[in-house]
Amino acid sequence: MRPSRSVVALAVGAAALLLLASSPLRRIMPVIRYGVDGPSMEPTYRQGDRVVVNRLAYAGRRPVAGDVVVFRDPDDASRHLIKRVAAAPGADGSVFVLGDNPAASKDSRVFGPVPRERIVGKAMFKY
Amino acid sequence: MSRSILRTIVSGGLRALDRARQPATAHAHCDIPCGIYDPHLMQIAALTVVRMNQLIEALGDDAAKTKASLSRYILVKEEHAELAKREARVIWGDYFKPEHLEKYPDLHQVTWDIMKLGGKSKQEINAQAAADLLAATQKFAEIFWDSKGVATKKAPSNQAVGGEIVVPA
Repeated sequence: MRPSRSVVALAVGAAALLLLASSPLRRIMPVIRYGVDGPSMEPTYRQGDRVVVNRLAYAGRRPVAGDVVVFRDPDDASRHLIKRVAAAPGADGSVFVLGDNPAASKDSRVFGPVPRERIVGKAMFKY
Repeated sequence: MSRSILRTIVSGGLRALDRARQPATAHAHCDIPCGIYDPHLMQIAALTVVRMNQLIEALGDDAAKTKASLSRYILVKEEHAELAKREARVIWGDYFKPEHLEKYPDLHQVTWDIMKLGGKSKQEINAQAAADLLAATQKFAEIFWDSKGVATKKAPSNQAVGGEIVVPA
Protein backbone atom coordinates (compact mmCIF):
# COMPACT_ATOMS: atom_id res chain seq x y z
CA MET A 1 0.00 0.00 0.00
CA ARG A 2 1.31 3.45 -0.87
CA PRO A 3 1.88 5.50 2.25
CA SER A 4 -0.39 8.49 2.55
CA ARG A 5 1.05 11.98 2.30
CA SER A 6 0.52 12.61 5.98
CA VAL A 7 2.49 9.50 6.91
CA VAL A 8 5.35 10.54 4.62
CA ALA A 9 5.28 14.03 6.11
CA LEU A 10 5.36 12.54 9.58
CA ALA A 11 8.31 10.32 8.67
CA VAL A 12 10.28 13.20 7.18
CA GLY A 13 9.43 15.33 10.18
CA ALA A 14 10.50 12.60 12.56
CA ALA A 15 13.81 12.09 10.77
CA ALA A 16 14.50 15.83 10.81
CA LEU A 17 13.56 15.96 14.46
CA LEU A 18 15.96 13.16 15.35
CA LEU A 19 18.80 14.88 13.52
CA LEU A 20 18.11 18.29 14.99
CA ALA A 21 17.57 17.07 18.52
CA SER A 22 21.00 15.49 18.60
CA SER A 23 22.92 18.33 16.97
CA PRO A 24 24.96 20.95 18.81
CA LEU A 25 22.41 23.48 17.66
CA ARG A 26 19.67 21.94 19.74
CA ARG A 27 19.41 24.97 22.00
CA ILE A 28 17.81 26.84 19.15
CA MET A 29 15.98 23.86 17.75
CA PRO A 30 12.24 24.02 17.17
CA VAL A 31 11.61 20.87 19.17
CA ILE A 32 12.78 19.83 22.63
CA ARG A 33 12.54 16.51 24.44
CA TYR A 34 11.21 16.62 27.99
CA GLY A 35 10.89 14.03 30.72
CA VAL A 36 7.82 14.54 32.93
CA ASP A 37 8.51 14.67 36.65
CA GLY A 38 5.53 14.59 39.00
CA PRO A 39 1.87 13.53 39.09
CA SER A 40 0.02 16.76 38.26
CA MET A 41 -0.68 15.83 34.62
CA GLU A 42 -1.95 12.33 35.27
CA PRO A 43 -3.47 10.45 33.57
CA THR A 44 -2.32 12.19 30.36
CA TYR A 45 1.34 12.30 31.34
CA ARG A 46 2.72 10.14 34.10
CA GLN A 47 5.96 10.31 36.00
CA GLY A 48 8.81 9.45 33.63
CA ASP A 49 6.82 9.92 30.41
CA ARG A 50 8.74 11.57 27.60
CA VAL A 51 7.21 14.26 25.46
CA VAL A 52 8.29 16.23 22.40
CA VAL A 53 7.57 19.94 22.64
CA ASN A 54 7.24 22.21 19.62
CA ARG A 55 8.69 25.62 20.33
CA LEU A 56 7.33 27.11 17.13
CA ALA A 57 3.74 26.04 17.73
CA TYR A 58 2.76 29.52 18.84
CA ALA A 59 4.85 31.49 16.38
CA GLY A 60 1.84 32.24 14.23
CA ARG A 61 -1.09 31.50 16.45
CA ARG A 62 -2.23 31.67 20.05
CA PRO A 63 -2.61 28.77 22.42
CA VAL A 64 -6.14 27.42 22.61
CA ALA A 65 -7.96 25.76 25.49
CA GLY A 66 -6.98 22.12 25.61
CA ASP A 67 -3.37 22.57 24.49
CA VAL A 68 -0.75 21.07 26.77
CA VAL A 69 2.07 23.57 27.15
CA VAL A 70 5.50 23.73 28.74
CA PHE A 71 6.34 27.08 30.32
CA ARG A 72 8.79 28.64 32.72
CA ASP A 73 7.61 28.47 36.34
CA PRO A 74 6.36 31.94 37.35
CA ASP A 75 8.02 31.37 40.74
CA ASP A 76 11.34 30.06 39.38
CA ALA A 77 12.27 30.77 35.75
CA SER A 78 14.87 28.00 35.73
CA ARG A 79 12.15 25.37 36.17
CA HIS A 80 9.88 24.33 33.36
CA LEU A 81 6.34 23.19 34.13
CA ILE A 82 3.87 21.23 32.02
CA LYS A 83 0.13 21.97 32.26
CA ARG A 84 -2.99 22.22 30.13
CA VAL A 85 -4.42 25.50 28.88
CA ALA A 86 -7.82 25.75 30.56
CA ALA A 87 -9.04 29.00 29.09
CA ALA A 88 -8.43 30.88 25.87
CA PRO A 89 -5.84 33.64 26.19
CA GLY A 90 -6.83 36.96 27.62
CA ALA A 91 -6.33 40.24 25.77
CA ASP A 92 -2.67 40.26 26.79
CA GLY A 93 -2.08 36.71 25.51
CA SER A 94 -1.65 35.19 28.95
CA VAL A 95 -3.19 31.76 29.52
CA PHE A 96 -4.82 30.09 32.50
CA VAL A 97 -3.31 26.66 33.02
CA LEU A 98 -4.41 23.69 35.11
CA GLY A 99 -3.00 20.24 35.79
CA ASP A 100 -5.04 17.32 34.47
CA ASN A 101 -4.83 16.02 38.04
CA PRO A 102 -6.05 19.17 39.82
CA ALA A 103 -5.92 17.56 43.26
CA ALA A 104 -2.14 17.36 42.93
CA SER A 105 -1.21 20.37 40.88
CA LYS A 106 0.36 23.75 41.38
CA ASP A 107 -1.05 25.82 38.55
CA SER A 108 -2.85 29.06 37.69
CA ARG A 109 -5.05 28.63 40.73
CA VAL A 110 -1.88 29.37 42.67
CA PHE A 111 0.25 31.60 40.47
CA GLY A 112 -2.37 33.16 38.19
CA PRO A 113 -2.31 33.38 34.40
CA VAL A 114 0.95 32.59 32.61
CA PRO A 115 2.25 35.42 30.39
CA ARG A 116 2.66 34.50 26.72
CA GLU A 117 6.43 35.07 26.80
CA ARG A 118 6.85 32.43 29.49
CA ILE A 119 5.46 29.67 27.28
CA VAL A 120 8.21 27.47 25.82
CA GLY A 121 6.03 25.49 23.47
CA LYS A 122 3.26 23.01 22.88
CA ALA A 123 3.45 19.34 23.80
CA MET A 124 3.12 17.41 20.54
CA PHE A 125 3.38 13.74 21.38
CA LYS A 126 4.46 11.29 24.02
CA TYR A 127 7.10 8.72 23.23
CA MET B 1 4.16 1.87 6.69
CA SER B 2 1.43 2.08 9.26
CA ARG B 3 1.27 4.88 11.75
CA SER B 4 1.79 2.56 14.67
CA ILE B 5 5.02 1.17 13.20
CA LEU B 6 6.22 4.68 12.42
CA ARG B 7 5.42 5.76 15.94
CA THR B 8 7.36 2.82 17.31
CA ILE B 9 10.38 3.74 15.20
CA VAL B 10 10.23 7.42 16.16
CA SER B 11 9.77 6.57 19.84
CA GLY B 12 12.66 4.14 19.71
CA GLY B 13 14.89 6.76 18.10
CA LEU B 14 13.94 9.38 20.65
CA ARG B 15 14.48 6.94 23.51
CA ALA B 16 17.92 6.17 22.11
CA LEU B 17 18.62 9.91 22.07
CA ASP B 18 17.46 10.14 25.66
CA ARG B 19 20.00 7.54 26.66
CA ALA B 20 22.73 9.52 24.94
CA ARG B 21 21.59 12.82 26.38
CA GLN B 22 18.95 13.25 29.06
CA PRO B 23 15.89 15.26 28.03
CA ALA B 24 15.01 18.47 29.85
CA THR B 25 12.65 18.17 32.82
CA ALA B 26 9.05 19.35 32.66
CA HIS B 27 7.89 19.56 36.24
CA ALA B 28 4.39 18.36 37.02
CA HIS B 29 4.60 18.59 40.76
CA CYS B 30 2.02 19.36 43.36
CA ASP B 31 4.09 21.72 45.47
CA ILE B 32 0.94 23.11 46.97
CA PRO B 33 -0.55 21.71 49.15
CA CYS B 34 1.82 18.76 49.01
CA GLY B 35 4.67 20.79 50.50
CA ILE B 36 3.25 19.65 53.82
CA TYR B 37 4.28 16.15 54.80
CA ASP B 38 3.73 14.48 58.14
CA PRO B 39 4.17 10.85 59.16
CA HIS B 40 1.61 11.22 61.96
CA LEU B 41 -1.39 9.91 60.03
CA MET B 42 0.56 6.86 58.91
CA GLN B 43 1.26 5.90 62.51
CA ILE B 44 -2.33 6.50 63.59
CA ALA B 45 -3.46 4.28 60.73
CA ALA B 46 -1.03 1.56 61.87
CA LEU B 47 -2.24 1.93 65.45
CA THR B 48 -5.80 1.50 64.18
CA VAL B 49 -4.78 -1.76 62.53
CA VAL B 50 -3.29 -2.89 65.85
CA ARG B 51 -6.51 -1.93 67.60
CA MET B 52 -8.70 -3.81 65.14
CA ASN B 53 -6.67 -6.95 65.74
CA GLN B 54 -7.20 -6.48 69.48
CA LEU B 55 -10.95 -6.03 69.03
CA ILE B 56 -11.22 -9.05 66.75
CA GLU B 57 -9.30 -11.11 69.29
CA ALA B 58 -11.68 -9.99 72.04
CA LEU B 59 -14.90 -10.84 70.19
CA GLY B 60 -17.30 -12.97 72.20
CA ASP B 61 -19.45 -15.90 71.18
CA ASP B 62 -22.68 -14.13 70.35
CA ALA B 63 -22.78 -15.20 66.71
CA ALA B 64 -24.98 -12.45 65.26
CA LYS B 65 -23.25 -9.67 67.13
CA THR B 66 -19.85 -11.13 66.39
CA LYS B 67 -20.50 -11.31 62.68
CA ALA B 68 -21.53 -7.68 62.47
CA SER B 69 -18.64 -6.49 64.61
CA LEU B 70 -16.13 -8.67 62.84
CA SER B 71 -17.21 -7.26 59.49
CA ARG B 72 -16.76 -3.74 60.75
CA TYR B 73 -13.38 -4.42 62.32
CA ILE B 74 -12.09 -6.10 59.19
CA LEU B 75 -13.29 -3.22 57.06
CA VAL B 76 -11.57 -0.64 59.27
CA LYS B 77 -8.43 -2.80 59.41
CA GLU B 78 -8.43 -3.02 55.62
CA GLU B 79 -8.89 0.72 55.13
CA HIS B 80 -6.28 1.77 57.64
CA ALA B 81 -3.64 -0.68 56.48
CA GLU B 82 -4.12 0.80 53.02
CA LEU B 83 -3.99 4.33 54.44
CA ALA B 84 -0.66 3.60 56.15
CA LYS B 85 0.69 2.30 52.85
CA ARG B 86 -0.58 5.31 50.95
CA GLU B 87 0.88 7.83 53.39
CA ALA B 88 4.25 6.08 53.26
CA ARG B 89 4.18 6.01 49.46
CA VAL B 90 3.43 9.71 49.15
CA ILE B 91 6.18 10.83 51.53
CA TRP B 92 8.64 8.31 50.11
CA GLY B 93 7.86 9.25 46.51
CA ASP B 94 7.28 12.99 46.77
CA TYR B 95 9.30 14.22 49.73
CA PHE B 96 12.44 12.10 49.87
CA LYS B 97 15.23 12.87 47.42
CA PRO B 98 18.31 10.88 46.34
CA GLU B 99 20.49 12.76 48.83
CA HIS B 100 18.23 11.53 51.65
CA LEU B 101 18.83 7.98 50.52
CA GLU B 102 22.57 8.49 50.87
CA LYS B 103 22.06 9.55 54.46
CA TYR B 104 19.39 6.94 55.25
CA PRO B 105 20.34 3.87 53.23
CA ASP B 106 17.57 1.75 54.76
CA LEU B 107 14.83 4.17 53.66
CA HIS B 108 13.77 1.98 50.76
CA GLN B 109 13.74 -1.11 52.97
CA VAL B 110 11.62 0.59 55.65
CA THR B 111 9.15 1.81 53.02
CA TRP B 112 9.05 -1.65 51.49
CA ASP B 113 8.42 -3.15 54.93
CA ILE B 114 5.42 -0.84 55.37
CA MET B 115 4.07 -2.01 51.99
CA LYS B 116 4.54 -5.68 52.81
CA LEU B 117 3.33 -5.49 56.41
CA GLY B 118 0.36 -3.36 55.33
CA GLY B 119 -0.51 -6.04 52.80
CA LYS B 120 -0.12 -8.81 55.36
CA SER B 121 -2.25 -6.89 57.83
CA LYS B 122 -5.00 -6.71 55.23
CA GLN B 123 -4.80 -10.35 54.28
CA GLU B 124 -4.68 -11.78 57.78
CA ILE B 125 -5.87 -11.29 61.33
CA ASN B 126 -2.35 -11.02 62.61
CA ALA B 127 -1.45 -9.00 65.69
CA GLN B 128 2.27 -9.45 65.10
CA ALA B 129 2.06 -8.09 61.55
CA ALA B 130 0.13 -5.09 62.87
CA ALA B 131 2.73 -4.49 65.59
CA ASP B 132 5.51 -4.76 63.00
CA LEU B 133 3.64 -2.36 60.73
CA LEU B 134 3.45 0.15 63.56
CA ALA B 135 7.16 -0.28 64.26
CA ALA B 136 8.00 0.28 60.59
CA THR B 137 5.92 3.48 60.49
CA GLN B 138 7.71 4.67 63.64
CA LYS B 139 11.06 4.08 62.00
CA PHE B 140 9.87 5.87 58.88
CA ALA B 141 8.76 8.81 61.04
CA GLU B 142 12.16 8.94 62.75
CA ILE B 143 13.92 9.10 59.38
CA PHE B 144 11.49 11.72 58.10
CA TRP B 145 11.90 14.08 61.05
CA ASP B 146 15.66 13.55 61.19
CA SER B 147 15.90 14.55 57.51
CA LYS B 148 14.32 17.87 58.53
CA GLY B 149 16.72 18.26 61.41
CA VAL B 150 13.98 17.66 63.96
CA ALA B 151 14.70 15.51 67.02
CA THR B 152 12.03 12.96 67.93
CA LYS B 153 10.77 10.97 70.87
CA LYS B 154 8.43 8.05 71.29
CA ALA B 155 5.27 9.20 73.04
CA PRO B 156 2.46 7.02 74.42
CA SER B 157 -0.55 7.01 72.14
CA ASN B 158 -2.82 7.66 75.17
CA GLN B 159 -5.47 5.58 73.44
CA ALA B 160 -7.12 2.32 74.36
CA VAL B 161 -4.89 0.56 71.91
CA GLY B 162 -1.75 1.45 73.88
CA GLY B 163 1.50 1.61 71.93
CA GLU B 164 3.59 4.61 71.01
CA ILE B 165 4.00 7.04 68.17
CA VAL B 166 7.08 8.98 67.10
CA VAL B 167 6.60 12.73 67.43
CA PRO B 168 8.91 15.77 67.32
CA ALA B 169 10.66 16.07 70.68
